[in-house]
Amino acid sequence: MSAAKRVQQWATFARTWHIFDCKWQDPYQSAEVIKKYLLGMHKPIYHPMNDCGDVVVCINSREIALRGNDWRQRAYFHHTGYPGGATWTLAWEVHNKDPTMIIKKAVYKAMRGNLQRRHTMQRLFIYPGEEIPEDIVQNVTNQIRQLRLVPTRLDHIDEEEVKKFPKVMDYPTDYVLK
Amino acid sequence: MVFLTVANWVRARGPDEFWRKRRIFRLAAHYIGRRRNCYSVAVRNVHRALVYATKARKLKKQDMKDLWNTRILAACEQHNITAFSLKEGLDRANIMLDRKSLADLAAWEPQTFKCLAAVAQEKLRLDGFIDGTDKKEPTGINLNLKDVMLEAWLKEKK
Repeated sequence: MSAAKRVQQWATFARTWHIFDCKWQDPYQSAEVIKKYLLGMHKPIYHPMNDCGDVVVCINSREIALRGNDWRQRAYFHHTGYPGGATWTLAWEVHNKDPTMIIKKAVYKAMRGNLQRRHTMQRLFIYPGEEIPEDIVQNVTNQIRQLRLVPTRLDHIDEEEVKKFPKVMDYPTDYVLK
Repeated sequence: MVFLTVANWVRARGPDEFWRKRRIFRLAAHYIGRRRNCYSVAVRNVHRALVYATKARKLKKQDMKDLWNTRILAACEQHNITAFSLKEGLDRANIMLDRKSLADLAAWEPQTFKCLAAVAQEKLRLDGFIDGTDKKEPTGINLNLKDVMLEAWLKEKK
């Protein structure tokens, strides 16, 4: 086996570090994608008892987007174990408390409940913003494609570009904009 | 003189009982504790195990099929082709490989699988079969399939 092939062999069984930008992504749909990389299901050598999962780093988890009125309506259940210890926390409250919690729970729920699940979760790093520790950034070698495009908001575009953009007509001077 | 043997014959249900129980105990030989030593406990557990074994014969086939599907899907994603168009292209090219063979090739013969994916892609292109799901660029363009006399073979009526 040549030297280059030997490295290829090592690379097959090494853990690759992937980065995933959660900005404007649905956490429950991205969880399915993240799960695939965490369990190693994107490799043709996958086997449930084969420890071939990769590491995933999620950034911008504060910027996730929930569908519909999920922010107000989706409740996260917790029970302390004591009588009357049940609590239901709404998604926006959970997100204010810990911006990484929703994506973490989504990935955790996407995986099957077995003894390996908690160990697999150790390979998932979630950061609320774009700042990641240096020792994690230097490991990352791949980026997972986002599921949906991040739209640009009109108020984030430069004033000059908006003015330069071609338009059909100007509003009449006496037209009242709502 | 006391005849104990006759009295025992009344209770004994014959030599069959020993062998009947022994058959169960043999199946429970690898259990632990009373499950392997007491007949009444052992027989219940052996029956349950046999039921599981019967059901598992079907489940094993299903599990293997799921595993092959996962592996084929993973390999297809690497070559930017959907599992559906791979199957369709190979079928049209008269390459009748089942899931097991495709998964084996994907895991242990990745270059062969790459060629198969390219063949499927090329066949679909020649047939004018449009699959809206494959939006990304296909791999295997550098293989130059046109140079290896494959086109004539793909074009002939199968």
